[in-house]
Amino acid sequence: MKPEYHLQVSQLCKSHGRRLILNEVEFSLPKGSCTLLTGENGAGKTTLLRILASLEKPDRGRLRLAEQSWQPWRKARRMLQQRVMYLHQHPYMFDGTVEYNLRFALGSRVPQRDAEPLIEKALRLIGMESFRKTSARTLSGGERQRVALARAWLRSPQVMLLDEPTANLDYESRQRTLELLQRLRNDGMTLVIASHDPLHFEGLTEQRLHLQAGRVEAVELNMNPATQPANVILMRRDYA
Amino acid sequence: MSALLEATEKALELLISGDEALWQIIAISFKVSGSAILIATPPALLIAFALAYLRFPGRRVLVSLFSTLLSVPAVVVGLTLYLLLSNRGPLGDWRLLFTQSAMVVGQIALAFPILVAMGHAALQSADKRAWETARTLGASPLRAFFVVIRETRFGLLAALLAAYGRIIAEVGASMMLGGNILNYTRNIPTAIALETSKGEFAQGIALGAILLLLAFTLNGLLHYVQGKGVQMS
Repeated sequence: MKPEYHLQVSQLCKSHGRRLILNEVEFSLPKGSCTLLTGENGAGKTTLLRILASLEKPDRGRLRLAEQSWQPWRKARRMLQQRVMYLHQHPYMFDGTVEYNLRFALGSRVPQRDAEPLIEKALRLIGMESFRKTSARTLSGGERQRVALARAWLRSPQVMLLDEPTANLDYESRQRTLELLQRLRNDGMTLVIASHDPLHFEGLTEQRLHLQAGRVEAVELNMNPATQPANVILMRRDYA
Repeated sequence: MSALLEATEKALELLISGDEALWQIIAISFKVSGSAILIATPPALLIAFALAYLRFPGRRVLVSLFSTLLSVPAVVVGLTLYLLLSNRGPLGDWRLLFTQSAMVVGQIALAFPILVAMGHAALQSADKRAWETARTLGASPLRAFFVVIRETRFGLLAALLAAYGRIIAEVGASMMLGGNILNYTRNIPTAIALETSKGEFAQGIALGAILLLLAFTLNGLLHYVQGKGVQMS
């Protein structure tokens, strides 16, 4: 059966000054999969996520989105922006209530009467119904992470990129975040998680991209066959 | 000493009795300086934002230039604009010299570098994730710009208050460009300079009290706003 991808990346290069950060990176994200992105500090994990989120421009690269054909990066950028959501390691909360932060994600594209049930649903998703009117800046790290996930979820992205989503979280907050990620994955969302702690995501991810010196050094497939979707495939390994 | 007390007493009388000439001078001051701030703020904020968020050739030079312009004396700004606006100057045809418009232009020139430099500092130190989060949540560049402005509002308000405080109290540019014409271009600082030179201290003291009150108010607001900004971060 031909695999279905949300995103395929090829020949992706990025340098900061003379330093090569990403060197001919290639990978694919199967629909509904969860990919763990690992690598030492400075290996290029965050840069890769930021490029995928259109927050940085690559020097060059090609991209293939779901049903589309391969395109140069700059041509596909706008479409990429609409489908991919990025969450910072420490999510930024706008100055205002949790509700204000969630409402922001809906923008003007959703009429007021339709926004209300969506916000309620988002609050239920993260189990924070009672925090609706709480100032988002007063939340703990774990609570911010959950609000950020709900805020991103309201945008209905196809792919969600998470930079160290469990870093500096206590056990309980980490478990809550992982449960939430599992739910998003079960809903068919494709996840990419950059982390130093692969063990935290053992039950969640089925493929692993390891970045070293700007290259994809190793790809491990089927990390947890129990959670593996039927359409797992992918990855070129010849550039390792 | 008794002369000073007498002048102060008379100054209070002028203020309390609602002396028309005195309040006219105060009104002109607030009108001119308010207009200058209103006109200068939007473009200054745009430039400050561009300097903080965009990378383009000459950016550092521009940042240095605006920082340097902060220390240019008001009288030099007045002289430069006087030469430009005078009958023999390149902009003489505009017939602006000795009008309130000329004073507004002069005060814009004084306020602009403060607004840009302090606005840039506020935006530069702001969390870049505000812009990035807004953009990734689907905000257009314009909406994301207003998000950043909202998130840095306390720092930007401090810039605005500092600029207003500077221009409402400056005498050099207003004197040269406005001409200190009674009921037209005479504002608080130029009136104080004139009355003092005439030995009429009462009006000078009354106007000085207004400026002092304004300075205290602006400083109080500034501290409040900066305190709010610290609380937020």
